[in-house]
Amino acid sequence: MKKLFKLVLSGLMATSLVACSSGKDTDGSNKTTSATSDISVAMITDSGEITDKSFNQTTYEASKAWSEKNGADFKYYKPSADTTDARVQAIETAIAEGHNVVVMPGYLFAGSVVACAKEYPDVKFVALDVAEGDLLEAGVTAAGEKYDYNPSNWDFEKYVNIDNVYCAIYQEELAGYMAGYAAVKLGYKKLGFLGGMAVPAVMRYGYGYVRGADAAAKELGEKDVEIKYVYGGKFSEDPAIKATMDTWFANGTEVVFGCGGRVYISAAEAAKAANGKMIGVDVDQSASIDADYGDGMTVTSAMKGLAVTVENALDEIKDGNWDKLAGKIDTLGLVSGDDPTANYVQIPEETTQFEDGKFTVEDYKALVKDMFDGKIKVSNDTSAPEPTAENVKIDFQGTILA
Amino acid sequence: MKEKKSFLDRPSVQAVLAALICIVLGVLIGFIVLLLINPSEAFKGICSILKNYFNYPMGKICVKYFGSTLVKTSPLILCALSVCFCYKVGLFNIGAAGQYALGAGVALFCGLSLKLPWFLCVVLSAAAGALSGVLIGVLKAFRNVNEVISGIMLNWISLYCVNMLLAGVKEPTSPYTLKLQGHGNAAILPSLGLDKLFSNDKVTIAIPLSIIIAILVWFVLNKTEFGYELVATGYNKDAAKYAGMKEKKNIIVTLAIGGALAAIGASFFYLSGIAEWEVGQTSVPAMGFNGIAATFLGGLNPIGTIFSSYFIQHITDGAVFLDKTAFPSQIPDLITAIIIYLCGFMGFIRTLLHSKKKGDNR
Amino acid sequence: MSSENYAIEMLHITKRFPGIVANDDITLQLKKGEIHALLGENGAGKSTLMSVLFGLYQAEEGVIKKDGKEVKINDPNDANALGIGMVHQHFKLVQCFPVLDNIILGVEDTKNGILQKQEARKKVMDLSERYGLQIDPDAKISDITVGMQQRTEILKMLYRDNEILIFDEPTAVLTPQEIEELMQIMKHLASEGKSILFISHKLNEIMEVADRVTVLRKGKCIGTVNVKETSEAELSRMMVGRDVQLVVEKDEAHPSQTVLQVENLTMSSKRHSNNAVKNVSFDVKAGEIVCIAGIEGNGQTELVYGITGLEPVTSGKITLSGEDITNQSIRQRSLKMSHIPEDRHKHGLVLDYPLDYNIVLQRYWQPQFVNKAGILKKDEIRKYANTLIDKFDVRSGQGASTVARSMSGGNQQKAIIARELDKDHDLLVAVQPTRGLDVGAIEFIHKQLIADRDNGKAILLISLELEEVMNLSDRILVMYEGEIVGELDPKKTTVEELGLYMAGAKRNVQKGAE
Repeated sequence: MKKLFKLVLSGLMATSLVACSSGKDTDGSNKTTSATSDISVAMITDSGEITDKSFNQTTYEASKAWSEKNGADFKYYKPSADTTDARVQAIETAIAEGHNVVVMPGYLFAGSVVACAKEYPDVKFVALDVAEGDLLEAGVTAAGEKYDYNPSNWDFEKYVNIDNVYCAIYQEELAGYMAGYAAVKLGYKKLGFLGGMAVPAVMRYGYGYVRGADAAAKELGEKDVEIKYVYGGKFSEDPAIKATMDTWFANGTEVVFGCGGRVYISAAEAAKAANGKMIGVDVDQSASIDADYGDGMTVTSAMKGLAVTVENALDEIKDGNWDKLAGKIDTLGLVSGDDPTANYVQIPEETTQFEDGKFTVEDYKALVKDMFDGKIKVSNDTSAPEPTAENVKIDFQGTILA
Repeated sequence: MKEKKSFLDRPSVQAVLAALICIVLGVLIGFIVLLLINPSEAFKGICSILKNYFNYPMGKICVKYFGSTLVKTSPLILCALSVCFCYKVGLFNIGAAGQYALGAGVALFCGLSLKLPWFLCVVLSAAAGALSGVLIGVLKAFRNVNEVISGIMLNWISLYCVNMLLAGVKEPTSPYTLKLQGHGNAAILPSLGLDKLFSNDKVTIAIPLSIIIAILVWFVLNKTEFGYELVATGYNKDAAKYAGMKEKKNIIVTLAIGGALAAIGASFFYLSGIAEWEVGQTSVPAMGFNGIAATFLGGLNPIGTIFSSYFIQHITDGAVFLDKTAFPSQIPDLITAIIIYLCGFMGFIRTLLHSKKKGDNR
Repeated sequence: MSSENYAIEMLHITKRFPGIVANDDITLQLKKGEIHALLGENGAGKSTLMSVLFGLYQAEEGVIKKDGKEVKINDPNDANALGIGMVHQHFKLVQCFPVLDNIILGVEDTKNGILQKQEARKKVMDLSERYGLQIDPDAKISDITVGMQQRTEILKMLYRDNEILIFDEPTAVLTPQEIEELMQIMKHLASEGKSILFISHKLNEIMEVADRVTVLRKGKCIGTVNVKETSEAELSRMMVGRDVQLVVEKDEAHPSQTVLQVENLTMSSKRHSNNAVKNVSFDVKAGEIVCIAGIEGNGQTELVYGITGLEPVTSGKITLSGEDITNQSIRQRSLKMSHIPEDRHKHGLVLDYPLDYNIVLQRYWQPQFVNKAGILKKDEIRKYANTLIDKFDVRSGQGASTVARSMSGGNQQKAIIARELDKDHDLLVAVQPTRGLDVGAIEFIHKQLIADRDNGKAILLISLELEEVMNLSDRILVMYEGEIVGELDPKKTTVEELGLYMAGAKRNVQKGAE
């Protein structure tokens, strides 16, 4: 299965951007011979902790496991504050302590990538969830200009140098779609979506979720599926967010997709009190949510392959193939129509609460195949401020902590 | 022998000595805590905290983070000066924390929304801090409301006002305000080449300015008629009244100046572009409270606060270097908190030194 | 005499502070059942010696013996255990507690954690009867007179079965009648076998009550004499080190134009709802000393606050040198008025400022001491302070840079007097200018006041000391319950008559009119 990843990594993706310069190649080929012991991995946390049961934890565990397996040095760093300067300092500390591969989870690192990549051309940076727009915004701002959120107006290479950076972003809308589709198929009619903040990755999850539910409702001919949709305003739990969730569950919401760092905690706490259900995000959260808030709470999880991406990137570095990744922004999504577990976006086959007659593993596999084959197209457009649907009612509530 | 005795008797020498003892004690207790958690890594841990930017290889990067520590020192100096100035006049300005928040809010609002140049941002932010001080002062002077109570209340009011004020200049995709770079370039403090010197673009004139302000505060308190009146009012309100001073006015003016100082500190910090304000934060920035520790560690001397503020910032920044794999991620904060806490023992240590001297005279 | 006859002995006590030897080889022996006075100027070392005895300080040299046996007193608890008790100059009482609770405070009997007051009450009442100490055990301290508070303090000592009783300047706060009562109580206590140490610098009281007296001067023991074999003049010579004029010499006053005119002045009180000063009118002329006599708390303080501007007046008019100053600020008034305040610690000095800063407290804002930019001319301040320190003989450890707090009370007062007399003034308001001072300092201050009068200044003196009133003033106004009830000529009246006016038994000024 790993092999498959490596095969497809370089080419397949929809919007990959190659920015490798020829001058860079010599650098890359020098490193081709790098032995395992030469690799020293540092992982930097974003605003969260390595115990967040989400982004940071997954990346941390994957980097650490890979390093142990391959005999590489590994250490993680936590920036002193939630600022670009602090993240840059953490990266520079890691480099000063001899690390030559830096793994960074999250779009917050865009500014740090812009600042550090050109300063440390010999260091290899792996940035997850950092998109072109994020980098461009950081680069344009760092140049003292005002970014207008329209990438086509700007010359990317003038502002950003990612010759020694590998960025990976995901087609979250596909995972969201699967989760939403599954929930409605499983008979839930009152759905909720709690996003951390209205950032592209969260919006892709959310809009995909709405479209998946919409499609399922259409298939079932259900007229009274309803989705409440809100952003918390932060990536952590908050009493005000929990209060909104309490209201939702009290008013009949059955399942909430908690999407964005630790914000799911506010929803899970409310769900626990009201015997509601949850949909996990990024990784299979069923084990942790069920353990903390009650067995059987997690209907499914919309997953993206963070761990796999980290392992692949590190493998490529080890095998001397860094120049295949350097300078790229990969958009990772479906790579197989037959084996859903091989994909970068999926829902868990093991823990999803499939139900015969409603939605089974086979139904799921068929869905993935249709998506892979292009029979089902899911838009990744998040330019609309609110999600829209034809067959379900959407109650858009904006941002709680505006 | 005689000369030596009188040297040790000098209050300034005793203050420095007491400060050093506090620091050593704090570091020692911090070390013991590290020992309890992870004995094999403790010594390396405490060293890396104390080394701060010396953890980097000598050269550009070391200087860069020295500059970074200085950038964060300058607001601390001003917060400490705010507390120190008021304390000299017998007032405990715990409101510095809120005035710091207010200063940050006004400076960022002026820079990001009104696009004002940096000096206007600083001046308006100082004015806002002063206004908050006046409010506390009027309550104190005319209604005898304890400045600590009204200060704490205003801290929260200020915090939430600032959150409201800055909601309009928030980044859409993060809880932080927009970066000054790109959104309010005029408000960024000039660096007059200091950025080159430190190879750190956040190093600005804030650093020399805060040292100049500290010297100015010292000068005002010790050398001027105004300072004479203020300190007299602080020592003895009744005697000040007897001598024809306007003690109510002095209380208000003092708290206004204290408020302005804290607010200037905030504007120095945020207008350097090193950090953004987290809109929706629910706790008052710790800077104002750390200012209290810096004041006492600095021996209640405006010049002393320069050094004590630097030290506190030095270990705060140094804590980042504590190995996260050897210690839980909350430990750096704990260790700095312990060291700062011990700074509060300044008065106690000074008394101890003083009585020790008495004993020696036997 | 064998040493068993002494209740307490302090032998060759030496106690040094940085820069000063407070007690230099002092020996004090207190016989059982005697009243032994300890006499000395302010700063002579009396308080230090008593602090050593009470365990607040440790002597570097010398021993303390109780009943002939050497003892170690490390803290006041040790002193208490040895039966040593002290009535401090400033009472240590809980204001909101009744008398009985104050007496038993710290040595309460309890049963299962519950106070057993009945027995305590009985013991206190027995003691009260036996020693003639009249008290009301249930009255709150804040409601009773100073004399009764002092009796409470004495009962506290007796309740603890103390054998050695120290009285630290006990008469400073009392009225003449109360002083007389205290003298009787002390004699009674001595006759019951208590040994009493009586700290004072009032010669007449010592002559009246003490058996023996030990005189201290500048930390040294000058000698111990039997009171019967000495005289006030000899004691004052021992204390001051030279002959002292006990009676003030002054020429006839030559009053000229009116300087201060007070018309129908009414001041409200901070302590009760009645007015503290009621419709008072009087004047003070240049070249005369007018003294307001009266028992403490009859409105003198408020009257001074009204004249000096420390409190706003309720009604009336105050004219100074022809100018209506009723609503002027303190600063404006201070241009023509000097004020020696009643409480030198509260109003007179910034205790944590050095002496030179205190000397310019009324003048720091004048161009002589501050430049146009608002920067103090420290050299000028120092120079001016040194001039006054020389002229008024203000003594201190480090001269002009001495922190005022570390100076003796007498020298603090001298500094205030130097400041107020040297500055421009038509009127000097002097409130108890010699309170708590020794004869040497009193003599000096009296001379300064008379010199100021002879310079053509008007002086309004407020004093509680009958002797001072009779000696110094050219005209006496007696205040009783906020009114001026008598105007007397000191040359034509007696202390007894003055006492009657002060007690409200007599008046020669009609109510609300002049």
